[in-house]
Amino acid sequence: MSKIAVILFPGINCENETARAIESVGMKADIVRWNDTRNLDSYDGYVLPGGWSYEDRIRAGVIAAKDPVMNIIKEEAEKGKVVMGICNGCQIIVESGIIPGLQDKVQMALAPNKNPFVSGFYCTWIKIKNFSKKKNAFNLKLNEGEVMNVPIAHGEGRFATKDETLVRYLLANDQLLFRYCDETGNIADKFPANPNGSLINIAGIVNKKGNVLAMMPHPERAAWMRQVPGMHSNGESAGPGRKIFESIREYLK
Amino acid sequence: MGDVDIEKVQITSMSDPDIQQFIKKNSLALKVSECREIVKLIGRDPTLTEIHMFNIEWSEHCSYKSSKETLKLLPTSGPTVIMGPKEDSGIIKFAKVDGEQYGIVISHESHNHPSQVVPYEGAATGIGGNVRDVLCMGARVIACADPLRFGDPNGTKKNYVKYVANSVVEGIACYGNPLGIPVIAGDVYFNESFNDNCLVNVVTLGIIKENEIFHSAAPENSDGYDIVIVGKATDNSGFGGAAFASLILDESEEEYNKGAVQVPDPFLKNVLIRATEAVFKEAKEKKIVLGFKDMGAGGIMCATSELCDAGGFGADIDIDNIHISMKNLPPYIIACGETQERFTWISPSSFTPTILKIYNEEFELPNVAEGAQATVIGKVTKSTGYILKHEGKVICNVPVNMLTGGIRYKRDKKEMKRNFKEPNLKEPSDYNSIALKVLNNPNVASKAMIYKHYDTEVQGLAVIRPGEADAGIQAPIPGNKAGVALSVDHNPRYSRINPYLGGVAAVAEAMRNVAAVGAIPYGMTDCLNFGNPEVPEAFNDFVESVKGIADAANKLCWKGDGKSPVAFVSGNVSFYNESIAGKQIDPSPVIACMGYMEDYTKAVTMKIKEKNSSLFLAGERKDELGGSVYYELHKENGLNVPKIEFEKEKNTIYAVIDCIDNGLFLSCHDISDGGLLTTVSEMILGGEADGKIGAEVSLDFSGLRNDKILFSESSGFVFEVNDKNIENVNNIFERHGVKIVKIGKTVENKSLIVQKGSDVLVKLEIDELKKAWTTGVARAMR
Repeated sequence: MSKIAVILFPGINCENETARAIESVGMKADIVRWNDTRNLDSYDGYVLPGGWSYEDRIRAGVIAAKDPVMNIIKEEAEKGKVVMGICNGCQIIVESGIIPGLQDKVQMALAPNKNPFVSGFYCTWIKIKNFSKKKNAFNLKLNEGEVMNVPIAHGEGRFATKDETLVRYLLANDQLLFRYCDETGNIADKFPANPNGSLINIAGIVNKKGNVLAMMPHPERAAWMRQVPGMHSNGESAGPGRKIFESIREYLK
Repeated sequence: MGDVDIEKVQITSMSDPDIQQFIKKNSLALKVSECREIVKLIGRDPTLTEIHMFNIEWSEHCSYKSSKETLKLLPTSGPTVIMGPKEDSGIIKFAKVDGEQYGIVISHESHNHPSQVVPYEGAATGIGGNVRDVLCMGARVIACADPLRFGDPNGTKKNYVKYVANSVVEGIACYGNPLGIPVIAGDVYFNESFNDNCLVNVVTLGIIKENEIFHSAAPENSDGYDIVIVGKATDNSGFGGAAFASLILDESEEEYNKGAVQVPDPFLKNVLIRATEAVFKEAKEKKIVLGFKDMGAGGIMCATSELCDAGGFGADIDIDNIHISMKNLPPYIIACGETQERFTWISPSSFTPTILKIYNEEFELPNVAEGAQATVIGKVTKSTGYILKHEGKVICNVPVNMLTGGIRYKRDKKEMKRNFKEPNLKEPSDYNSIALKVLNNPNVASKAMIYKHYDTEVQGLAVIRPGEADAGIQAPIPGNKAGVALSVDHNPRYSRINPYLGGVAAVAEAMRNVAAVGAIPYGMTDCLNFGNPEVPEAFNDFVESVKGIADAANKLCWKGDGKSPVAFVSGNVSFYNESIAGKQIDPSPVIACMGYMEDYTKAVTMKIKEKNSSLFLAGERKDELGGSVYYELHKENGLNVPKIEFEKEKNTIYAVIDCIDNGLFLSCHDISDGGLLTTVSEMILGGEADGKIGAEVSLDFSGLRNDKILFSESSGFVFEVNDKNIENVNNIFERHGVKIVKIGKTVENKSLIVQKGSDVLVKLEIDELKKAWTTGVARAMR
């Protein structure tokens, strides 16, 4: 059975449901404190869950990205182990430069939402599309172009970059795994399909090798049908977000 | 009586005017007679620290000195109660899983005055205190709800009202979201009575196993146990603003203004919660019994004295051991200040190192927030004296039960003259425009703009979230289908006109809302927000309101046995809510009702699900538009507020629950603010306002004038039934002795059509309904 470490930085608040979602697909999940790194390299993968690591001081994810534990995670990612950051975990991974990871520096940031309806923190259900044509550790169980119903909950979720050429590379490398779309799967650039004004509707980016993912939406909050609005009569059966965790399990087999 | 080592305040030899001057100089809330009472009670003149302690313990907030007698009217026990109102939170029975009884811990608090003065911090610290109340029972905190009342957004004070409203919402979001506690319910009203005094109430839920409750008491045989405090370093924040302003301190002027406002730190609180859960786990594994309590009003003094007194012990505390973040604080500020994010443990000395290690090393509190830590500050003692030492001297030495015993007042009451009467309005000629105005009224319109600021999904336990239905539902035991439902309710305009009926209606609506999703009402809490209890008319409004909620709780019984009351397990009283000119707010007994659902998959939302299904009404339309939105549009109050017929109401609630349990409803929505037309419109729209199925309704079932049928807020439900289930639904309602009537059907057309005979009164497209309903709150807040 694959073993995943769920990293608990001070201020993280999604560790329990993230661990449950990992265990729901038959992997083992341990919640590991940021300052307890004794056996961290013994895990097969690492998930950085959502929250407010280090109070989001300066900018979301910046401080945690500099935490010593991230050096270990970087090394393990280079070895090909699976690393996934969700929401604040996404911000941490992007601030550490692992994503998009085309150069050895921070190339992107998660900027404050642009949203005509609610300013600041915004929590709602949206649609994302499996946009990547290549298979990677996170979409093995997804069909090409599959549209998923998942929630977002963030104030700084707008993928942004100063590097105008970067998007071209990301598209060419098939690194734009998840993009916000409307009900029918169109990558519509306007609110509400694009809930935060993210650059070309980016919701999640993988590294070139396809073993690291940074995504703003929360698949662990859509891992049971019970959690999906209007679908609770389906009870504890698998929700759309679970496929991402199933993909990780298959990849690690 | 024990003595002290320092100078005392010579109350005995002071004249009344001298005492009055002393009270003013020290910004005390005590009265002259109460200062003399202290001397009589402890048998000597008190020290300044002791006076400050009694000042807090005898405050309305701590002692319930005006309200205690009246609160006895409320039912507080019954078969669904695990623990009634005696500790920081109450506990209601929940599911039994694998032989283990679970309980829902619930607490309800207000933070009204701080939120009016500094709305962002006030609202944030309001949540903070309420969450601590639930956590300290040993529970996992799983949900919050926020009943909010703001002033008139179009009135004379609209700019400040909007500022307060937006800042309160932001404060709740910026505190609750980082903590990781989902918001699952809430309500919002705007009216001019809250112009100078907003209401910010908070309800928090937690889940716990019945045999794993931590009590707010020093355990048996705990003589010699350590008193450990944990959390933020103590400073001067939250020590009565005026008191602080009258002191001469070395600190800079910037500190001078912090005064009574507590300073929220959700980041530290997040880590504290996780570390505390680690202590719970360790203590359970090692079978160590600990005492645990939140530090709220009265800070260290209240928490430690109440813990020790509850166990029949005393305390010996050295103030110099308390970790502080400001120099030269007088000892009574250290003892009584209300610095946020702190708790107290009573621990055997063998277990204390474990507690210190978890907080200080594993979760690195000192690195998380400057000066934060866990520290031993004293011992539990066999003698029942409450002793505080400072610089080697005893500065307080009073019997602990005298300190916590409080005082009582019997307040005068007198019925307020109310001159409300029914208006004489002409029947409108254009129902379309009235319908849209009602939907656009901020007290009716969609609150999405507010609750989308809140994290409704964190913890992954959501089943039904705000806006989707009349109550929110969480599934708090992962893997199990047990659901906990929550609704918070009260209509201030009803209570303005008739406090008794307003109280009754609040309880009935809270129960209807819980029933409308299919859950059985199991328990309640109240937050009683009123004016000045020293004014006989205001106190009478309080008493009448409590009578109303008590009657409703007793008569709308628990469905489990059909006779026990739905008990109040915790609550809060907030007096002195009034305008600058001294006019009281609308009497506001805000009710939270918790419901239990064995199988959440059976829950229904309000959104219409199918074309060509039937719409039914339970609950006769009556000429009860007093306090209605319709009258508000005409700038009228009216007189006839909805009256609840207890037996009928109870039976209707039971029948609705039975129908949902049998899977017979496609959707269900209670009738409240705005009346029948609003209910049907909201069913068409759904919480996300993305509904695509319309409805045709006929008013031929009633002989009332059309505007009264459409806008009366008489209690009731509308529900959607597939035609194949109509007979079963009829049978269930008949069994409960309740008449229902078919009022229309759902249609493929994307419109709402209302007819009387062959006259079309309302014909509106869904897009028109949507625009009115989704823009009302933005109009009020922006």
